[in-house]
Amino acid sequence: MIEPTRVSSRAEQLRSAFDRARAIPFSSETAEQIENLLAIRVSGDAFAIRLSEVSGLATNKKIVALPSPIPELLGVAGIRGRLVPVYSLAALLGYSANADQGRWLALCGAEEPVGLVINDFEGHLRVPLAQVYKAEQKDMTSTHVTHVVRASDMVRAVVSIPQLVEIIRTRCRGAGE
Amino acid sequence: MWTFGRRIVVGFMIPCLLLLGIGVVAYRSISSLTSTSYLVAHTQQVLEHLAEVLSLLKDAETGQRGYVITGDEAFLEPYQAGIGDVPNVVKALRQLTADNSNQQTRLDQAELLIAAKLAELKQTIEMRRKGNLEETVKIIRMGEGKRQMDDLRTVLGQMEHEEREQLKLRTEEVEASARNAKSTIVLGTVICLLLVAATAFYITRSLSGQIGLAVRHVQSSSSELQSASSQQASGAKESATAMSQINTTITELQATSRQIAESAQRVSHVAEETSSAARAGDQTVQKTHESVSGIKRQVDLIVTHMLDLGKKSQQIGGILEIINELAEQTNILAINATIEAAGAGDAGKRFSVVADEIRKLADRVGGSTKEIRVLIEEIRSAVNTTVMATEGGSKAVDLGARQFVEVTAALKQITELVGTTTQAAREIELSTKQQSTAVEQVNVAVSQVAKASQEAEISANQTTQTAGQLAGLSRDLLRLVQANARA
Repeated sequence: MIEPTRVSSRAEQLRSAFDRARAIPFSSETAEQIENLLAIRVSGDAFAIRLSEVSGLATNKKIVALPSPIPELLGVAGIRGRLVPVYSLAALLGYSANADQGRWLALCGAEEPVGLVINDFEGHLRVPLAQVYKAEQKDMTSTHVTHVVRASDMVRAVVSIPQLVEIIRTRCRGAGE
Repeated sequence: MWTFGRRIVVGFMIPCLLLLGIGVVAYRSISSLTSTSYLVAHTQQVLEHLAEVLSLLKDAETGQRGYVITGDEAFLEPYQAGIGDVPNVVKALRQLTADNSNQQTRLDQAELLIAAKLAELKQTIEMRRKGNLEETVKIIRMGEGKRQMDDLRTVLGQMEHEEREQLKLRTEEVEASARNAKSTIVLGTVICLLLVAATAFYITRSLSGQIGLAVRHVQSSSSELQSASSQQASGAKESATAMSQINTTITELQATSRQIAESAQRVSHVAEETSSAARAGDQTVQKTHESVSGIKRQVDLIVTHMLDLGKKSQQIGGILEIINELAEQTNILAINATIEAAGAGDAGKRFSVVADEIRKLADRVGGSTKEIRVLIEEIRSAVNTTVMATEGGSKAVDLGARQFVEVTAALKQITELVGTTTQAAREIELSTKQQSTAVEQVNVAVSQVAKASQEAEISANQTTQTAGQLAGLSRDLLRLVQANARA
């Protein structure tokens, strides 16, 4: 049970944090030294994707299944007036095809966007660049993980969305041939 | 089989009957002899009277002759005596021969002759007195007087002859009766002696045999009686010992009965106190039942309020879900705004900051909603727990109410049972007192029985001694009965 005094102090903290954020002057240098990441989980494993590699985030979109030789393709969904092919991020990362399908959908690419279904979305991370490390070869579980980030006392593998998109395109081409 | 008494009676009855017969015969013989002797004596009297009549007449005739011869009045003295006694003697003869008509007839003839003789004597005496001697002699010489005397002698001789014949017959009868009596007495006595001897021999033989056998039986019976009385004495001794133990046990039982009576009395008091306590408890339970009913109503009200509170918390949860969803959508919008701001280049950097703030705010709202959700879950859990606890309490109250009803019934039953227990305790007390009294009576009876056992032991010892004495007596009796018997 949360005590009433604690609730009021909590409200005070929120209020002061909001006010403090509004009071801090904007600094572009500070903004450039920050990496925006989306913290996600795939079949229980912690991952992160760069916000800059994502063109949008949607939720609870209806996915219409399509017959396809590509097992990672879940179907198509209507997002922002366009039909977007939706792929399973878990399947693309090499997890089981029967992994839980999430309700989060990350749009990747601008001209030919691709939707990636995320199992669990944990939040938005703003991490200093100093905490983003290039992944060594021996630590890399797959070729689409290039960096690791340490945030909130947790190390996450940073998934390279462009590489995943390239893999998808390669498979689509293979499937088309 | 005849008894000893019958045998002895019969054995003595036969000689007695013989003796009686002998006695009867002897009595009859003696009676006949006596009567015959009386008749003989009677005949002798008649003979004497006949002789006296003749003698008196002779005396009268003698006096008459003397007077006639001498004229002396002194010679008339036999005459006077004779004429004075003759009528009396004749009268006696008539009486003595009253049973004999022949003799009466002859006596009538004799009286006539006597009267004629006396008249002749008187005539001659008167004539002589007148002095007529010659006439007198003449009359005497005529022999009338002599004939009269001869006739009279003849008649009296006939009477005497008949009397002598009767005397002879009666004497023979007397002798026959005496012979009969003698022969009867001698023969009866001999027969009686023989019978007595035979009876005595028979009775002695039979009695000695049977009495000897009976005495032997008595000997064996006395031996058995001696052993039985010894056993009885030992049994009586054991019985006395057992009675003493029983007496001790009964005394303990009596003490126990008194203790039970006292305990029953205490139980009765305790039961009465319990009954009053149960009645007070019943009233308390009634009040408590009313209180429990009030508690039940309050608990039902609490349950209703708690259910309302649960529904309200569910509604708050629903609203919170909306807020959470709004925060999530705000977060998504902020993220998308950040993405768009990043795509806008430098112009979007400031907007990116705002979008970040919005995202942070949305995160905080999301965190707060999580906390609120936790709070609501806690409230719902608490409400559920409270509702369950309250329902449990309500059920417990219901159960308690039912149990109170059961307790009330149980207390009522307890009151009734306590009443029954009180009654039973009183009955137990009364019964135990009666039992105690009975035990005292039994104790007295057992003491008497013990005393009787002791007396029985003494009596058995006496019986043993008596049996020994009886055995000795039977040996003595056997020796007495059978001389050659060896005890």
